[in-house]
Amino acid sequence: MDKTILILDKGTTCTAWNYSGQRLAAGSTDGTIAIYDSTDPASSIFNCTARFKVQESSILKVVWVPPEYGDAVACISADGTLSLWEEVAQDADVLLWKLCICFERNTSQVLDIQFGDSHTCLKLVAAYSDGQVKIYEVLDPLELEKWQLQAEFQNVIDLVSKFGNASCSAASISWNPQRGELQQSSFVLGFTSSVPLLNSSKVWEFDQDHQRWLPVAELALPEDKSDQVFAVAWAPNIGRPYELIAVATQKGIAIWHVGSNPDSNGRLLTEKVAVLSGHDGEVWQMEWDMSGMTLASTGSDGVVKLWQSNLNGVWHEQAILAPSS
Amino acid sequence: MFTKKPKPATAFSTAAGNRFSNKAMPSSTGADRLSSTTPESSTTSFLLRFLHHPNRRHVHFVHTNETSYDAVQDSGKMPGVTSNSGDSSLSIVPHFSDSQTPRIYPLRYHGLIPPLARVSISWARGSTLRVSLIQSDAISEKQPGGEVVEVKLTNMEGGEITEAQWRRIAYGSVTPFALLQSQKNLMDSSHYSKDWWEHVMEYSKEINSLLGNLKSSGNLVIEDPKAVLKKEEEPTSLKAAWELMEIFYADKQSETCIPERLLDWLADYDCLFSQTQPTVHAKLVDFQRELVTLQVVENDPKYWEAMSSALAVGWLDIVVKLLHLHGSYQFDQLGNRETENGLVEAVAVLISKMPRMRPDLPAEKLGECYQTKPEFMKAWEKWRAQITKLDCSAFWLQCDHHQTREGLKNMLQIMLGNTSILSNVTYHWIELFISHFLYIRPFTVGLENMCNLAQKCMHLKPISNHHKLMGLIIGILEENTEVVLAECSRSFGPWMITHALELLTAGSTQAEILLHEEQSKLGGINIEELHRLVYAQVLSSHALTWNIAPIYLTSCMKQGMGLLENLLYRQPVQNHQVLLKSIEICRLNELDIVSSNMMKISGVRNWKHGQKGSAVFWLQQAQDEVRLNRIAKQLFDFVGKSVSDESFKQWEGLIELLGTESKTAGGLKFLNIYRDFRRSLLQVHGGTTSDAAQKAVESLVSLMKNPSTPQRFWLPLLYDSLKLLNWQEHPLLNVSQTHLLLNKLQELSMARLRPDFTNVDLPPEALNSVRLALANNLGRAILEE
Repeated sequence: MDKTILILDKGTTCTAWNYSGQRLAAGSTDGTIAIYDSTDPASSIFNCTARFKVQESSILKVVWVPPEYGDAVACISADGTLSLWEEVAQDADVLLWKLCICFERNTSQVLDIQFGDSHTCLKLVAAYSDGQVKIYEVLDPLELEKWQLQAEFQNVIDLVSKFGNASCSAASISWNPQRGELQQSSFVLGFTSSVPLLNSSKVWEFDQDHQRWLPVAELALPEDKSDQVFAVAWAPNIGRPYELIAVATQKGIAIWHVGSNPDSNGRLLTEKVAVLSGHDGEVWQMEWDMSGMTLASTGSDGVVKLWQSNLNGVWHEQAILAPSS
Repeated sequence: MFTKKPKPATAFSTAAGNRFSNKAMPSSTGADRLSSTTPESSTTSFLLRFLHHPNRRHVHFVHTNETSYDAVQDSGKMPGVTSNSGDSSLSIVPHFSDSQTPRIYPLRYHGLIPPLARVSISWARGSTLRVSLIQSDAISEKQPGGEVVEVKLTNMEGGEITEAQWRRIAYGSVTPFALLQSQKNLMDSSHYSKDWWEHVMEYSKEINSLLGNLKSSGNLVIEDPKAVLKKEEEPTSLKAAWELMEIFYADKQSETCIPERLLDWLADYDCLFSQTQPTVHAKLVDFQRELVTLQVVENDPKYWEAMSSALAVGWLDIVVKLLHLHGSYQFDQLGNRETENGLVEAVAVLISKMPRMRPDLPAEKLGECYQTKPEFMKAWEKWRAQITKLDCSAFWLQCDHHQTREGLKNMLQIMLGNTSILSNVTYHWIELFISHFLYIRPFTVGLENMCNLAQKCMHLKPISNHHKLMGLIIGILEENTEVVLAECSRSFGPWMITHALELLTAGSTQAEILLHEEQSKLGGINIEELHRLVYAQVLSSHALTWNIAPIYLTSCMKQGMGLLENLLYRQPVQNHQVLLKSIEICRLNELDIVSSNMMKISGVRNWKHGQKGSAVFWLQQAQDEVRLNRIAKQLFDFVGKSVSDESFKQWEGLIELLGTESKTAGGLKFLNIYRDFRRSLLQVHGGTTSDAAQKAVESLVSLMKNPSTPQRFWLPLLYDSLKLLNWQEHPLLNVSQTHLLLNKLQELSMARLRPDFTNVDLPPEALNSVRLALANNLGRAILEE
């Protein structure tokens, strides 16, 4: 049932699998990224095929760029910089990882990033430690060097409020995984910050007519709005009439149903269908399987938990995977 | 024959410790029944797709423990449970404190030292989870930084069936499944109930044949009496379970002879129960071993015991064969043991004449078949009368051999249906159950009666260790669809439940309603689809089986296509075979957007990796105009460079590939004409042929006419063509053509005054020399015309 498929370098801090699960990028404390590859889809033997230095400081997070834009990774370093690296052929067809762009920044640090909207124009959402959310768009689908800032806002439901001196320590972003031309671009975002209003997870949707991002739902009950958010995860939807989003706070993992049609105020109907007592302490990560029926989570208790709903709509903990030597 | 009305689940709990028994549900609609199910039971029923351990026995172990737990809850006492798990590769630790507590599975790592700094997760294809275990930094130099563990959450591989066999079964069942689905689609609803079962039976037989070929005689054939038991293919629980489903749900023809079919079933599969507890089969195997060493069999009590047991469960051929080993048959004995031999033979004849209510019997089986109940009843009465007559016969007094007399008399009692003797000579409740059908209640029909009988037998022969087949049998007899579903999926895995649902829906209206009902609490999916999706996910976890998953997904009306799209998006398109297969699947299912997306991924990857030709090819296949135009723009950069430029060859091919398809934008059209122009120009420079020059001029004119030719290229184009404009032999351009070019030149001069004009890298006198050449040409052209 369980099988070790690869051994990571010393000092590894984070890992990320590409879309097909054939490549792994692993960042480490010395600022290098190692790429592991499996050539044959049937085998689970992975070899390190590339290593490149990104920064002097440790790498906090690696994210693969959607495959429609080539083999590329974005990485967040401990000093808060965000850079994009791409595998391209140089002369004599030697593949090399080269720096595409190092995003400009002021004093704030990048906390989380996610790519979305890959079918039309690739977008990158970045959440910063000053509470700002920036959305970049790639200008040329064949060149990842050129990006433009499409929007910048704060994670508040009331668009008028502005918080100048917010200080955030973590953020989590998850795009609506639905592909397709008709789908509106949307993502969910939550913060761990000193400003309570910034924290709660909000669903942002791009308003095509007015070319702006609007908050269409807030995934927190009135009494929980200031709760710091550890992680968010938007489930793939293979035919449900509603969307499913998991939000982890210190109160547990909440499962939300989000309706697809907005009301007269432009807000989507939301319903919190479950609160699951998650991990003792912080939730590190949540991931939905490809059917959107099983949620996997990890947290500071060091175990992996699997969650499912039964036919009565009751969510429960299905299994625990506990690492042991 | 047997009605399938919903009925309350009967309490099997005391004997079988059935975990569902305490959730007896009154008859009602499927929805009510479901909602009255506790989360735990529906969890097990429908979503327990997790962690079917490779070793089937292990799953069995969990089951055993859970069952016993519920039995404890029910009865308040601990039944004697023995665990038969010997495998340590995954120790499943069920928590007893709360039935909702999830199971804990260890995730084994090797070179790391706890505590771990971080655990991160990623779903791979299907139901495969990859967990990165990252070591704390403070650990000594030699330690690795962490490791990635792959966990297959649902596993096809089972202890009794190897991975390769599973794949064979998975591939083999695709065609019958697909055929049945298409028949279902063709079936008009009025015909549905009438002869549908025939299709289902055909399907069932095909699937069954994939699960191994057992001879119907089972593995108990004692061919040569002194020879060791014939070794045949080991039957599997999976096949046994499939046949049970077939007997009770699919086979409408033999509804009246279910007891006979069960008898055959037990003959094939009794050995499965021998693994955990005494059975008639085990008894016979033991005796077979001893038989070789025995001189006078009839003196050995085991001889008589073995025969009684075999007779009780209806293995008549074996009994008769064993009877013929009796010493009185030997030639030297015939004289003084005539009566004894006569009695042995009389019993043997009676056994082989036993009336059976079934259409036919395999050649090696004994008994006389009767199709209709009255005929059978008549024969049965007659046969019983003969037995009674023999039992009261005076010949017994003349039989000196004590063991023979007692043994034969005992066998007559079995045939007369003596309850206590039947109970003594059988071991497992299901053996007792079968013996009741044979000798006490040959007319038992209807599941309710069978269920009552089974309950009685279980009470008489409580079992300490549940075989996973028992849960299924109980569920079937109880007519409890949820239990049948739960047992199929939990004990036999996603393959079984997906394929067996066809039998279940064919045989039970109640099941059909339940399975096809939309589950609003689960996004509107129905249970049948849910199981197919789960099975498709299992298939897609493996690189060798993912490509059959679409068959199951496309049979799901509601959510199948969505999952298929997600599955295809995760295919590694850099592998050519996978890409072609995926495109084919998309074509069959009209998923154009998905396939063009995969082609796009492949094109971009090729482009980035320097394989520009295949990049253009795939992007064209994907009709990705945006990227093709970007590529065309990159090619523009070559325009206006010196004709001798080596790079011409390089991009010439690309332009060729880009083609002139009407769908692609104007930029490509320009590049094509430009390429023709460049080619002709090269020829002109090489040798001076008027033909080539004429062609070059034509291309030049059409380039200048074409609105998509960027203005910045006008001057370079004209400058490149100086030689053509100054053609010595005769003017190549006619008057109107020359006017066109002059106009363009004029436009260009005007444009130069605008601020956004981009200056091209040409000698300053370029414009003037072109103007001069054109004026010259015009003059000559007027003269010629």
